[in-house]
Amino acid sequence: MTPATALAPDRLTRPGAWWRAPAVTAGLAALGTAVVVWRDPHVSGSLGACPLLLLTGFVCPACGALRATDDLAHGRVAEAWSHNPLWVALVPVLLVLWARWLVRRRRGQSARPLSSRWAVVALVVLVVFGALRNLPGLAPVLGP
Amino acid sequence: MSDPNVPSETSQQPEPPAAAAAAADAAPGAGAAAVPAATEQQVGHPPTQYAEPGPAEAQYAPTQYPQAQQPQTPYPQTPYSQTPYSQTSYPQTGYAQTEYPPAPYQQPGYVSPYPKNDLAVWSLVLGLAGFVLGCLFVTGIPAVILGRNAQRAVAEGQANNPGLATTGVVLGWVSIALSVGLLVLLGLTMLFGVIALPFLVVGSSSAG
Repeated sequence: MTPATALAPDRLTRPGAWWRAPAVTAGLAALGTAVVVWRDPHVSGSLGACPLLLLTGFVCPACGALRATDDLAHGRVAEAWSHNPLWVALVPVLLVLWARWLVRRRRGQSARPLSSRWAVVALVVLVVFGALRNLPGLAPVLGP
Repeated sequence: MSDPNVPSETSQQPEPPAAAAAAADAAPGAGAAAVPAATEQQVGHPPTQYAEPGPAEAQYAPTQYPQAQQPQTPYPQTPYSQTPYSQTSYPQTGYAQTEYPPAPYQQPGYVSPYPKNDLAVWSLVLGLAGFVLGCLFVTGIPAVILGRNAQRAVAEGQANNPGLATTGVVLGWVSIALSVGLLVLLGLTMLFGVIALPFLVVGSSSAG
């Protein structure tokens, strides 16, 4: 047991502007969204094909996320929800997490690690969502 | 919390609080010297006062305290760490019902001695998602990265879950290999469409 490391400093230890890492992350996300919007995933084959869907027919939890992103970028929330409801629900959560990270960096603290409890929650949600959206009854509601 | 008896208590922290827990059940006078001294200098309650936390403690199960206190002994400053020490302050103030609601396990200030345990858990979850749920390399690559960081943290002593970390790394690599295999198969399908046609689930029912 090492109590000393448990009290590891919470301050930013790396030099550099506090906004750099969140800005880079936001920039990458914006760039990815721009590429998706530019290529219009509603057109079949515009961004390639999903090997998993083609080869197994299994609708993974992320299926439809690109189309949902394109719809969200254009403000069509209902259509985005019809493509991938989990992703549409996750986008505001990710934005809030990014904002909290930015605030913490502004205060000079490093990002607080995501608790492992959320990892279990994430796994359960992913498994349940992935299973449910492949059921014939729920496929129209939860499917891509 | 704001306990006027705190200064005297913090100076006695090297005394194992477990002794106080034991003293609560046994004759308090024979217990740690800090405990009777604290009572006498305060209100002079009879040592049997220690029986009082009994009913309030019934929901605590005193055996919980040693394990909760052990990692807290280096952190005397956090207000929540006073919850186990409040055993000695029980007789002095009217605390058990008002200051300390009967849920001492939920000590929000409890700092784990292994702060980087989350890395391996996330690595495992991402590896599982990649392998079982078909997220493949999308979560497989972060699984490998986080798993390696977790293994490094275990080597440094900041985490105690090496098995989880290794599993996350393995599952991550399996997911990446699976995605490579699927991509190769897809490439073969596109290149040699006729040969690979029987293996396609979506589409053709006339082939094979």
